[in-house]
Amino acid sequence: MATLVAAPPYTSTATESANTGLWSWLTTVDHKRIGVLYLITALVFFVIGGLEAFLIRAQLAVPNGQVLSADMYNQLFTMHGTTMVFLAIMPLSAAFFNFLIPLQIGARDVAFPRLNAFSYWVYLLGGIFITVPIFFSVAPDGGWFGYAPLSTKQFSPQINMDFWVLGLQILGISSLAAAFNFITTIINMRAPGMHLMRMPIFTWMSFVVQFLVALAFPVITIALVFLQFDRFFGTNFYAIGAGADPLLWQHLFWVFGHPEVYILILPAFGLVSEVLPTFSRKPLFGYPVMVYSGILIGFLGFGVWAHHMFSVGMGPIADAVFSLTTMLIAIPTGVKIFNWLATMWDGQLRFTVAMKFGVALVGMFTIGGISGVMHSSPPADLQQTDTYFIVAHFHYVLFGGSMFGLFAGLYYYFPKITGRFMSESLGNWHFWLSLIGMNLTFFPMHFSGLLGMPRRTYQYDAGQGIEVFNMLSTIGTLVLMLGTLFGLINLWKSWKSGERASSNPWGAPTIEWTIPSPPPEHNFDELPKITSRYPLWDLKGTVIAKETTYAEEAGRVQLSAKQLGIPMPNPSIMPLITAAGVIFMFSGMLFTDSNMKLAVGIMIAGAVWWIAGLYNWLLTPLEDAH
Amino acid sequence: MTATTLPAAGDAAHGHGHHYTTLGLDNRKIAIWTFIGSECMLFASLISTYLVYKGRSIKGPFPHEPWTDPVSGKAFPAILDIPVTSASTFVLLMSSFAMVLALAAVQNKNLPKVTLGEKILGSSKLWLWMTCLMGTAFLGFQAFEFTAFIREGLSIRTNLFGSSFFTLTGFHGAHVAVGVCWLFSLLAIDYKRGLQPSDATNVDIAALYWHFVDVIWIVIFTLVYLIK
Amino acid sequence: MALAMIVGACGGEYPNSTFNHTTEFNASIDTLFDKLMFWGTLVFIAVEVALVYVIVRFRRRPNAADPKPVHGNTTLEILWTAIPAVILIFIAIPTVRTIFATQAKAAPDALQIEVVGHQWWWEFRYPEYGITTANEIYLPKGRTVNFALTTVDVLHSFWVPQLGGKRDLITNKTNYLWFTPNADIQTDAFNGFCAEYCGSSHANMKFRVYTVEPDEFERWAQHQARPAVFPVQAAVPVVPSGAGVALVQDSASAMPMAGDTAAAATAPAVDGYWFPREQLPAHVIPTTRLPKGLTFDESLLAQGDAERGRELYSRSSCIGCHAIKGNPMSVSNVGPNLTHVATRHTIASGLYQNDAKHLALWIKNAPAMKPGSLMPTIGIGERDAVRKNTISAAMGGLTDAQIADIVAYLQALK
Repeated sequence: MATLVAAPPYTSTATESANTGLWSWLTTVDHKRIGVLYLITALVFFVIGGLEAFLIRAQLAVPNGQVLSADMYNQLFTMHGTTMVFLAIMPLSAAFFNFLIPLQIGARDVAFPRLNAFSYWVYLLGGIFITVPIFFSVAPDGGWFGYAPLSTKQFSPQINMDFWVLGLQILGISSLAAAFNFITTIINMRAPGMHLMRMPIFTWMSFVVQFLVALAFPVITIALVFLQFDRFFGTNFYAIGAGADPLLWQHLFWVFGHPEVYILILPAFGLVSEVLPTFSRKPLFGYPVMVYSGILIGFLGFGVWAHHMFSVGMGPIADAVFSLTTMLIAIPTGVKIFNWLATMWDGQLRFTVAMKFGVALVGMFTIGGISGVMHSSPPADLQQTDTYFIVAHFHYVLFGGSMFGLFAGLYYYFPKITGRFMSESLGNWHFWLSLIGMNLTFFPMHFSGLLGMPRRTYQYDAGQGIEVFNMLSTIGTLVLMLGTLFGLINLWKSWKSGERASSNPWGAPTIEWTIPSPPPEHNFDELPKITSRYPLWDLKGTVIAKETTYAEEAGRVQLSAKQLGIPMPNPSIMPLITAAGVIFMFSGMLFTDSNMKLAVGIMIAGAVWWIAGLYNWLLTPLEDAH
Repeated sequence: MTATTLPAAGDAAHGHGHHYTTLGLDNRKIAIWTFIGSECMLFASLISTYLVYKGRSIKGPFPHEPWTDPVSGKAFPAILDIPVTSASTFVLLMSSFAMVLALAAVQNKNLPKVTLGEKILGSSKLWLWMTCLMGTAFLGFQAFEFTAFIREGLSIRTNLFGSSFFTLTGFHGAHVAVGVCWLFSLLAIDYKRGLQPSDATNVDIAALYWHFVDVIWIVIFTLVYLIK
Repeated sequence: MALAMIVGACGGEYPNSTFNHTTEFNASIDTLFDKLMFWGTLVFIAVEVALVYVIVRFRRRPNAADPKPVHGNTTLEILWTAIPAVILIFIAIPTVRTIFATQAKAAPDALQIEVVGHQWWWEFRYPEYGITTANEIYLPKGRTVNFALTTVDVLHSFWVPQLGGKRDLITNKTNYLWFTPNADIQTDAFNGFCAEYCGSSHANMKFRVYTVEPDEFERWAQHQARPAVFPVQAAVPVVPSGAGVALVQDSASAMPMAGDTAAAATAPAVDGYWFPREQLPAHVIPTTRLPKGLTFDESLLAQGDAERGRELYSRSSCIGCHAIKGNPMSVSNVGPNLTHVATRHTIASGLYQNDAKHLALWIKNAPAMKPGSLMPTIGIGERDAVRKNTISAAMGGLTDAQIADIVAYLQALK
């Protein structure tokens, strides 16, 4: 039995020629490259969603704004929400799931590499499907929550909501496929010795998130199937004339929708729980509690959905029960905040941009968490729900929480992904402008909401005492956009010509930092044997891995998988072809009103297409025989 | 710098032929269980919707009681036909039994078979055929049931009962249809090159799916057909 | 933060503030909010102070020894699990109490108002008085009012921030909301909003609430319950003129018309009550901009004849949707009830002032005035943005002069 020392960090050899070029990206099944694809695609959608937000704020800068028509405004706020939730934040998290989970658990890839590629292609094509209509002013306009009966054909007869219903179905396929893949990966692909309670905390939070996806997405799938059937086949699920209960949609939507909130935030929590210990040079305080609180948040997340519905008249008993369960969630969430503080306490804090974003998450998420507790109280919520107070709350959670956590992760893992540092100076501009911009944008919304401004309104009267708050929010949006611009420039420049990074540039403790940056395609020359939670930090407290430099690692040679005789999965175009067939099939439904024959024709052709792709895929072995 | 070295797991983690897995189980098996968990939520949503909408339809026909249309004066019988569906339920249950035998046959392919009984039990083709045929028969029952209901005046558009009933049972039927296609694919492989014990995992996950679809039907049959 | 919010409490500058005690409902919400705010601020300060302290105090210094690798501390972790739990108990108990107090059944002698949501306007019915009106509610001070909320189409939400929390209007379901405007309430006119996204003109689905003295309310109700007073008497005693340009225009168009009417002298006197227009606070006067390109020859308004208007109204498409009690041709209840439309201060669900000019523009092209409006365009040559057609005479379109007549008729409906 070889007791090979896992290779010290190296400069990787030149990539083999077969691994570059467009075709290699279209056929890749490498989790790291798919992660990069997710990252770039999600950032593009993040920019689109941000521009939509900018137009919204431009319209609301002054009373009776004239920038947008009512219908365009309604399309924009619908698409802003849909884009940010399904096309930006979830896939940004997915970028990290893809890139990091196999590296953190000591695996060579995910359990099903081609399924992983399929998830990405479905996401990309589904994202395009749902985004393109906005450029033709026929985008979905029923809100990202698509409440029935407004979203039914009776009240939304145009094609707009068809894009939304079908688009979310398509994106659901992507998320579900990814969830099965990652659950299997984490359960079954951990390196020897990587017990559950030794897993890096990001992987743990991702693990919880995959379960949330696997259990929550089927519910919205069914809610959407009902809506789809109502719209296309004339069923009665939300047909008010047939005695339907519109609250059916709300219950199904929020049984999905609330776990979705934790799907959006837990990965960011995980990333921050990696960043804070490294830059404090202290282990995460209370690792088991952090794990259990994550599980508890996920679990309780399924029991609080109706707190989105305190104003629908569920009756005092239901209101009280959902109020109490919601308050309960504050406890594990609070524990996370305190444990992060304790992690930093007495540490040696190094304020890189990643650390700044991480620390800012702790500060900003706290504000969102506290306002969250404020509307866990139903009577108070009756004055807050559907006002800008709620908008303020969830932007503190999603921007101050999710996005800051993801940015922290981006700055932290960028050297591992690309082998180069992101620029700290541009990063500082990015960070400070984002921090100021988000507070300037979202803090005044607390006031405009409590002073009587309802959400989703494209214009408001002058003299209502909310002008100044709206103007501040709009100015804040400009600052935020400028900050994001710095971030994007930083990303672009650093990717091309950033300073070279070593295998462990931050002196971090987990095993993804033992392999070269960027990692070779097979990740680990030998699967590592894990003996502790922080393999690179001596746990007795005497030696903690120091930052390494590119120079000291120069000259070492990383052998390729082929040279090492490690079987790697073959690239395959079938995931992309199958995904395209799925999208094609769904798009056939758009024509059911105008041309039923064409619609059925496209759907059958699409079905044959993807089934043929799937059979080809399943009957082709993943690897060459060895 | 030296701290960035790790012990390697060695040969144990890099056996030949098979990839290392933490639990020693095949990935496909864990994935199918995850998938089944997710499917439970799918059917839970469908079934709860059916139950929530039970008795809320403002016009008939209804599942368990006759109804006379006050406008046309036309009388509708209670829609559900429990004896016929009991028969189809029995067929689907038996198909699960055949599936178990098919899996066992694949797993024990290499065992010597002497007696007729052993040969029959050891024929994966026979039991896969049985499963497929019974699955197809179930679908036939469902097609018969659906056309009968439509003839009697209940379509997916008629009322809340019609919408939620056809969608729920239709979704289940679609799952059975997928299962039948899956099993026919396995059967095709069996004819082409013979299913070997090394294929057992592939048959196993199909079987898990098949049993799951079967169990879901028991729940649907109980909640929709038997409870009034 | 807390201070700024308290500033928001004193109404004046923030006319739709949720922080006030104008009703017992809002008082209990605000009391609860204060508790939430207190504990929230406490936690906020504790966390942010600790965070800033950590940032400043534990900044990495060069050549410092590695920190002690503390992995956790059970006592501390139990402590900061327990403290939030205790705080939550302090919040939970009053929360549950308030839930049950505010969602109890309304007092049996409460004034019943049926609220019916429509895309995008509000129908209000007072079953005790036989009143059906739209977009404006009158409430007697000191008496509990119980709203029964329903909708004929999509979901809406009934919200008067100054008077209490919101409650959704759910299709196929009746929700209730009740509160009691204080007898000594200061301001008397409030903005109401639709708070549940309901389509194109969700932003434009507003209403007004007037809290008045009980005797004023009785006079209002008695008057509203009667058929429209038409033809009107020359003198209109209750509405004093002179509140801005719009009103002058209003009177200018209404007065000569009334004087011309032969039957004027014998018509019953208007002795009802409605909220005096010149006392309207600024925050209930809409500021909505007019759509570009939509014009009306205002000189025609002075020539509008109410009798011609009545005759025209009674044979035009108007009667397909609107009801005017006292006009036997006009009994449809698809659109707002117009019986006493001239006593209302806004049109188009709080979107524009109720004056001759806005009425004329509204009749001419409602979808241009209010996106998605279900009231069709009527002016000849105008483009209907909802139905995507251009109105012609053959389609029943009206000329500006004809619209001016209808405006005169509607303005006479006091």
